[in-house]
Parts: sequence; structure tokens; C-alpha cells
Amino acid sequence: MIVEKSFETNLRADEPLADEVIIEINGLVKHYGEVKALDKVSLNVRKGEIFGLLGPNGAGKTTLIEILCGLRSFDKGEVTILGLDLAKNSQKIRSLIGFCPQETLLYDLLNVYENLSFAASLYSMPSKKFKERLEVTSKVLGIEEFIKKKAKELSGGMKRRANLAASIIHDPPIVILDEPTTGFDPNVKREFWETIRTLKHNEKTVLLSTHDMYEADALCDRVAIMDKGQIVAIDKPHVLKEKFGGKSSICIRVKEDQTEKALKLLKPYGYTFREEEIQIFTENPWKLMPEISNTLLGNNVLTEKIEVLEPTLEDVFIRLTGRRLLEES
Amino acid sequence: MNPVIGVAVKDIKMFFREKGTIFWTIAFPVLVMLLFSAIFGRETPFTANIGIVDADGTDISAMAISSLNGTGVFNIRLFENKSEALNALNATEVRAVITIPDGFMENLTRQVPAQVLLAVDETNPDVARLIRDIIKTFFTEFCKGIYEWSNATFPEPISIVEEQKIVGERIGYKEYILPGMMCYPLLFSSMVASTGAIVYEREKGTLKRIRASPIHPLKVLFGKTLAALLQTAITILIIAVLGAFVLNPKVNWDITALTPILFLGSMNGIALGLLISCIGRSPQEASGASTTIGIVLQWFTGMYFPLEYLPEYLQQIGRIVPMTYAAQALRDVMLRNITLKGLIQPIITLTASAIVLYAVGIILYRKWVEKE
Repeated sequence: MIVEKSFETNLRADEPLADEVIIEINGLVKHYGEVKALDKVSLNVRKGEIFGLLGPNGAGKTTLIEILCGLRSFDKGEVTILGLDLAKNSQKIRSLIGFCPQETLLYDLLNVYENLSFAASLYSMPSKKFKERLEVTSKVLGIEEFIKKKAKELSGGMKRRANLAASIIHDPPIVILDEPTTGFDPNVKREFWETIRTLKHNEKTVLLSTHDMYEADALCDRVAIMDKGQIVAIDKPHVLKEKFGGKSSICIRVKEDQTEKALKLLKPYGYTFREEEIQIFTENPWKLMPEISNTLLGNNVLTEKIEVLEPTLEDVFIRLTGRRLLEES
Repeated sequence: MNPVIGVAVKDIKMFFREKGTIFWTIAFPVLVMLLFSAIFGRETPFTANIGIVDADGTDISAMAISSLNGTGVFNIRLFENKSEALNALNATEVRAVITIPDGFMENLTRQVPAQVLLAVDETNPDVARLIRDIIKTFFTEFCKGIYEWSNATFPEPISIVEEQKIVGERIGYKEYILPGMMCYPLLFSSMVASTGAIVYEREKGTLKRIRASPIHPLKVLFGKTLAALLQTAITILIIAVLGAFVLNPKVNWDITALTPILFLGSMNGIALGLLISCIGRSPQEASGASTTIGIVLQWFTGMYFPLEYLPEYLQQIGRIVPMTYAAQALRDVMLRNITLKGLIQPIITLTASAIVLYAVGIILYRKWVEKE
């Protein structure tokens, strides 16, 4: 475990957003030659939230992030970060952002401490402050155990944590993560999610891009769904699912020779039958499930599986774009 | 497809699509072969500039000069008087001065031993040795020729009397090579290392983190320049100290004169490295190009042997490389005891080239960073 405790994940449905807008984007347009990478993108990121950009590869997430970090110019629109106009204050804004790109940007022949020291020097950080920040960052991200190891000797997960540490060593109020868990196995991914949550706990505003709907759902307070350079929806994940994900359902599988009997019993609930599974769409699946279960058991129909299927962000993406998120990824 | 064949086909395709590999495996050996052939496979010996003072002014002395010119080994420059010729020798405009003294013809015709005076620039020991040998051989043959022509008897051959310590002390190859080796870091610690430091960021993507920070791109460049200067200084120091202890050379260690030359030479190397790293389309190409240029240039800058050893067209290449001037200036200081005042010309040349190359490098670097 890399952190001592885990924290509340997303905002609750009724939990209000912070008033203070940290990142404000209005009508952002970016072309690569003839290709429109960003098409009138507008969004706000509020203080202290984990904001996700969810979309397939080529949706414009990385372009948007690189513009915010001052790595790319833009053609039209306005970007304000902590009240500063990006077009006029790019250098100042860069000192307020901790950018952690998808790739690990560590120097293989330097140890973690030396890498962090170099990263701190990019922000003209005095050595005393660096030592203080090193102590805090090491504890928050759990890098103490391998701080003297050379980057090339670290495991993938260690490298990502060290990489993140190098990105936030200057104590920025905003942390921007580009596809932070791409290529991770599920355990390392969940571990890294905890690391990201600690950033929120440490009063950072986090903007991350991902094409992993589970990551966006589990980690983000709000999500902007991007497709072909446009924002197609922005809201809390559960709100998006409620609005665009369709109804929840109860999925039932019974023994093959009892299927006909089960279908007769469940006719009053209305169902769809596909691939040996009976699916009943309902607004309140958890309320209906015991009743259905009792109906089947009372008539000696044995269930092999009965589960509630709630809409996912994948369903939201399909509903909004007509395509599957994972296929695109 | 059989996996073995599949792997082989894949590797062959990769080989022919990787320009760097093709260069290092095919073009580079060819280049080295051509280069060495050019340097060591010349059909004619080297040529050198020599000055002649004809104090005799007779038909025989004119014939000697004409015959010497006819050898094709020397580019002959005639001087009115000896002091003018020796000034040219000290300024390395000529490598030797032959003085045909008054009474040369008279001595020959009276069958009295005749002599010519020879002053050789000893700071290029190999060149000095060659010149000395060729001139001795020439006058021996000339003497025989005169005998056959006049059918007279000359009991004494023409003797070559060397004028001592006209230009520095007679030195060995260890004295000659040390200043050259001190120029080696100007190519490989300054130029190649600075290219490597810049392209590494590009190759590993670490430039992204730097660009996302508030640091100005020029500060990054200056940091890398400083690092390259320090690397070069340390390397030169090691070479100098080892050279001094191991070879025990009789050279002049004038730090005040050596430091500006080495600093400017290093700045030229760094600027060249910067240019190469920005021009290279890929990090691998830039790195390979820098190493190749370093390897090739070391033969053209007079580091290991005098430029005169090279054919004229290769000498011309050497003359456009700043390190050639640095190498020559180091030898002037260490072998000819030239002080800082006497180095104004190479200092101006090296400063001008460093400013121009570094300025162009900065422009390209900024464009490159924006493009990245």
C-alpha cells in the first residue's frame, strides 16, 4: 500500500461543486493543418475537483492538455487559469501547473532524488524548500523506499510515482495528468488511483485524460466526454449515466431446460432475451430484484446468475456518439 | 512464414530503413577508407613554403633556385634580405629559409667548399626533418650536376650550415602532439557531447517536462553550454596533466595565453554541436552526424600531424574548421613561446566564428524547440 489511508472518491450526487473556477476554457479551437483537433471546446474546472477528459484516442484530449501546459499554441478561444490569461501569461501559468505526461520522463542514469532535484531546479526552487517538498512529496507518493535508486532500475509503478513526484515537486495548485495509468495492470492501476486521490486530499485540482471509462467513473468528480475534438457532455459521472446511460437492468441466467418456464413467469415484467440471458429494464433494479428472485425460486426455477446492471460511461458514450469507446481506443 | 525467415526479413527491412545504421555500417568505413587513402596514399610528397635569400645573385645561384623550384616539393618565395625572410619564418608563412651567401658561385668555381645557410621552423618536427633531408639531398645532387655540366672537379660538396634556434628549439613528436591532443576535447567533449546532451532530451522526451516548466529555452541551452565547457575543461586538464607527467615535454605552459584559446575553441565546438543537433532530423541522425564529423575533422585540424601532410584540397577543408586555428595557436604558445599579444589574429578568428556559429545555433534551437 502506498498511502496510509484512502479517501472519499467522487463527489456525492448532492454534493455541491466548489464555486471557484480554476481553469476556464471558452471556444478553444486548434487545427493541425486541415485537421480540426479541437472544435470550440468550452469547460470549467473547479477548485479541488478531479476532472476527467474521457474519450477515445484522437478525441483531442492530449492536444487540450498540451495547450493548457503551454506546450502547444491554439488558434482561437480563451483560456484562463487561476485568473490568468494563458495567451499572455504562459510562463507564469507553467509554474502553477504540475504536468505529468503519459510517458515517463525520468533520466535513466540519475536516481530518483537527482531527478526530483533537477525537476525542482526547473522551477528555481531553493534547496531548503526542495528538501521540505521532497519530504512531503515522498510521503504522499510513497517514493521514500526507492529514492536512491536509479530510474532505470525502477518498476513501472515506481517509475510512474517518481514521474508524478517530479511533476508536483514545485507544489503546484493544479496537476494535469495525461493518460496516467495507460499500460498498467489492474492492481497497479488501482494503487495509482489512490495516489491521485491523495493529490485531491492535498488540495490540488486535478485534470486528467483517460480513455478508460472505469477510471473516469471511479476517480473523477466530473467528466467531460470528448469526441472528434468536441465536448459532447460534461457532468458528474452518475449524472451522465442517469441522463444518457439508459435504464438499469436485472440480468438473469437460469438452467437451460428451465428457460421457457422462466420466460413465462417473467412475462409481466417485460424482458429481452439474448444469448441465454434474460434482461429486465427498470428504474429501481434493487427494489425489484428480490421480487423476481422469489418468483423464480417459488416456482422451482434455479438461477445460475442474477445481477443488477447499471449504465456505464461506455453506455453514455454510445448514446452520445453512436460508437463504442473501447473500440475507438 | 517460418519464424526464422520472418525475423530475418523484419531485421533486413529495419536495417535498410534506419539511416544511421546504413551510415555506420556502410558509409562510414568507406569514408575512412577514402580519407586514409587521401592522407597516406599520396603519389607526391608534401609541399611546403620556403623562403630563399639570394645574396650571391649569380647565374649558378639562380640555377639552384630554379632547380629547387623544379622539384615541385617547395613553393618558393624570394626575399630581398635575410631579416625579412626570418620574419616570415617566425610568422609561419614559410617553413624554412635558405640563404645563398655572397660568393657561393665564386667558391664553387674556385673549388673552395661552398655552403648555403638553412633556418628551419622546428615546431613541426616532421616537416622540419623532411625539409632538411630534401634540401640536403637537393644540394648534393645539384653539386653533382654542376660537376657534370662544367666537367670540373669539385672536391668538396656544397655543405648545409644550419642556423640554430631561429624558430624555437628543436622538439620531438611528444612536444608536437601534446597541443594537438589538448584540442581533441574541443571536438569530442565540446561538439559531440553537446550534441548528445541536446538530442538526448529529444530522444527520451524529457524536453517535454522542461518545456512545461517556466524555464526559458535559452536558459536550458546556456546550462548545456556551461556543462559542455566544464566537461571540456576537465578533459583538457586531465590530458595536460597526464601529458606533462608522462611525456615530460619541453613546452611553455602560459595559462594566460592558453585559456582564451581553449575557451574559444570549446565555444566553437559547442556551437557546432548545437547546429548539428538542431539540423539533424532525428536524434539518432544528429548524434551519428556529430560523432562522424568529430572523427573526420580530427584529421583535418592539424591535431596529429601538420596540415602540410594533407593534399591541398584537404588543407582547404582544414582551414575552414575553427579548431585548426585553435590547434595552431596552442602550438604557437606551447612550442614557439608566443604570448597573448601575439595571438590576436587567432583570437579574433575564433571569437568571430564562435559568435556566428552560436548565434545561428540559438536561432535554430529556438525554432526546433517550438517545433518540438
